[in-house]
Amino acid sequence: MKTKSLWLIASLILIASMILTACGPKTTPPSAGETQAPPAGEKVKVTIFIGMGTGTDPEQITAENALAAKFNSTHDNIEMEFLIVPYEQSREKFQAMVSGGTAPQLVGPMGVETSGQFQDLWEDLGPYIQRDNYDTSDFYGPAIELNKTADGKNIGLPVGLYPSFIFYNKNAFDAAGIAYPTHDFNDKTWTLAKLREVAMQVTMDANGKNATSSDFDPANIVTYGFDDSWGNFRDWAVIWGAPNVGRPTTADFKTATVNAPEWVTGIQWYSDAIWVDHFMADGTALSAIDPANGDPFAVGGVAIWKSHTWYMGDSLNDLPFKWDIAPAPYNQKGEQIFNGDADVFAIPASAKNKDAAWEALKWLVNEENILEMCKIYGCMPARKSVAETYNTTLTEMYPGIDTSVVFSAANFIDVSNHEGWVPDVGRVNEILANALSKLMTEGENHDAQSLLDETNAEVQAILDEYWASH
Amino acid sequence: MKNPRLRLSLRQKEALSGYLFISPWIVGFLIFTIGPMIASLYYSFTDYDIISPPRWNNFANYKKIFSGILPAILNQDSSRLGDPIFWQSLKVTLTYAVMALPLGLIFGFFLAVLLNQKVPGVNIWRTIYFLPSVIAGVAVALLWGRIFNPRVGILNPIIEAIFHVKGPGWLGDPHWAVPALVLMGLWGVGGGMIIYLAGLQGVPTDLYDAAKVDGANMFQRFWHVTLPMMTPVIFYNLVLGMIGTFQYFTEVYVLTSGGSGGLGGPVRSTLFYNLYLYENAFRYNQMGYAATMAWILFVIVLVLTLLVFRSSEYWVFYEGQLKGKD
Repeated sequence: MKTKSLWLIASLILIASMILTACGPKTTPPSAGETQAPPAGEKVKVTIFIGMGTGTDPEQITAENALAAKFNSTHDNIEMEFLIVPYEQSREKFQAMVSGGTAPQLVGPMGVETSGQFQDLWEDLGPYIQRDNYDTSDFYGPAIELNKTADGKNIGLPVGLYPSFIFYNKNAFDAAGIAYPTHDFNDKTWTLAKLREVAMQVTMDANGKNATSSDFDPANIVTYGFDDSWGNFRDWAVIWGAPNVGRPTTADFKTATVNAPEWVTGIQWYSDAIWVDHFMADGTALSAIDPANGDPFAVGGVAIWKSHTWYMGDSLNDLPFKWDIAPAPYNQKGEQIFNGDADVFAIPASAKNKDAAWEALKWLVNEENILEMCKIYGCMPARKSVAETYNTTLTEMYPGIDTSVVFSAANFIDVSNHEGWVPDVGRVNEILANALSKLMTEGENHDAQSLLDETNAEVQAILDEYWASH
Repeated sequence: MKNPRLRLSLRQKEALSGYLFISPWIVGFLIFTIGPMIASLYYSFTDYDIISPPRWNNFANYKKIFSGILPAILNQDSSRLGDPIFWQSLKVTLTYAVMALPLGLIFGFFLAVLLNQKVPGVNIWRTIYFLPSVIAGVAVALLWGRIFNPRVGILNPIIEAIFHVKGPGWLGDPHWAVPALVLMGLWGVGGGMIIYLAGLQGVPTDLYDAAKVDGANMFQRFWHVTLPMMTPVIFYNLVLGMIGTFQYFTEVYVLTSGGSGGLGGPVRSTLFYNLYLYENAFRYNQMGYAATMAWILFVIVLVLTLLVFRSSEYWVFYEGQLKGKD
């Protein structure tokens, strides 16, 4: 009987504690612009959320922690700390932190797509820049423009640019007996038509025949001529010179422009490249080239690889072949448009200690530290004043590589960006990804006009739905 | 002096004690299951992106899903549907269920019958066939992703060596992606097999003796004794299997993240219902719409389960029970 009473009392206590826990006080995030002074003598914590882009590899984490230690040794009132979140979980974790009132003080590095996805969540840094007379003239123009919202809100300070160009396998060109691509950005003979010609010559089957040969076996290709598989639909389409550049809508975001003539031309070029000329891999072949890492260039599966500076890591010095970089070609309109990214660090509007976050952000992107940041994240520093030092670093990291290509490519970054915000951007990008997967996996050449007409209608439906409720 | 009106009877006291003992579970169930279910039902009638408060939109989410069905059917044009991708995800899930469920039941039962034989080392074989079912879904997906790789995986060379035909693209081929997942699922039938095995060992041996005396051969004993006596276990596995196939997520998420076509595979060929729900919730920040999908899935699975339960009176026989009677 006594034992029974004890069990009853224990049950009641357990129930009561559960109810009290569930009914605990709610945390309210500070409103925008509100700063909270810490108790005297206590350091203000600035948590930097890493995971929306690069920055989660072990070597990067070590370098980030070293950077935080350097900051903390010189700042008595602010403590910097990096919060590393795996990329796959980063968006959910960030949203959970914001909705739970525990937003980090800084988030980055983020590309245009990610910062645009959450564009309503960031603090407008315009007032901070004005208040402190912060000089932004040293940043490359695109680095600032790419991270302004349509209504002019400045949502972050840029860390780096990631211009794109081509990486090419010198051994593959030597084996094919053809000249390397030009390194002259003004050479207008280096066109997409020329790229096709060259790519077909370096595409090799298992018998050593290239794609121009009548004996070429497209079922047994060992080296493809060209690949841009780390890019998405808008990456592929942007270089073709449509009026809206990398944006699949008009400037007012109300009309879909996926079936613009320039994009139709481009998508047809890619479809022909996969199914007719065979110098690009289809979806099945691509997944088989490097199943472990999905890096077809590094394993010699692709001779010409279009990518960005973020591809330039330490492992490039261990490739089993000689390589270099060169400008991407001129398009059919005689223009050079290279898709480029720009990474920023931003302050969530609902974060606490925003003034401390602003101080930490300025420190991270100042002349002294931006180079270190770009070594960690593989970017070209967004500041013009450190270009020479960065070039020296690049030359030391990659001896023999034509680093001038990196700096020249920075002048051709796409604005409107291929990652720029559009209404319901997640759904729109999924529709475009589906169109690309049709192109790459349906086993036959496509009529790009009908494919893009169908895709355009899907995107237009999304836009109509969005504007009906906004 | 005790107030006589507050005195509880012995029966009431015992009932109160019982409820108090199970009250932690009841409270937990209310707070962590019923509460969130009610909240998600509310969210299904709202536009809710987690960051901003939910905004009531009447039945807009449900209208979006169910609008345009008739024009789409009459015109054979899926673009008329309010959300063609929803119907694609349902189609992929149903296709998988229709393939995986019967095959899983049959294969598991077949294995259990084999492993019910009294042969030396049968316990080792039982362990071998059971082991794959205890491996975590992520590990299974990574392993099979490699096996299915058309160039370096082991499956296509085996197909080419035995059948002298080129193996398909498996996960990279929209026509073979779902069959690939079915094949992967068959590798893990050990869990169901163990339950069948337990059921087989519960079949009274005197039934087999009686059948032998009546001159029944092996097949007849299987058909007239084993199968009817196993129908409760088959029923159990069918219900659980059906619920499991409609909740399929982990393996396909791991296999299609980052692949051609993104989440959902090439041309949305592996865009399962739960995967599309996940995309709406966490990629498109449309938690309200995701909640709507969750409730529709609940209704679908509930209806199907009730149909299976209803049908069970015609084909499930419990020991000692006459057909159609308790």
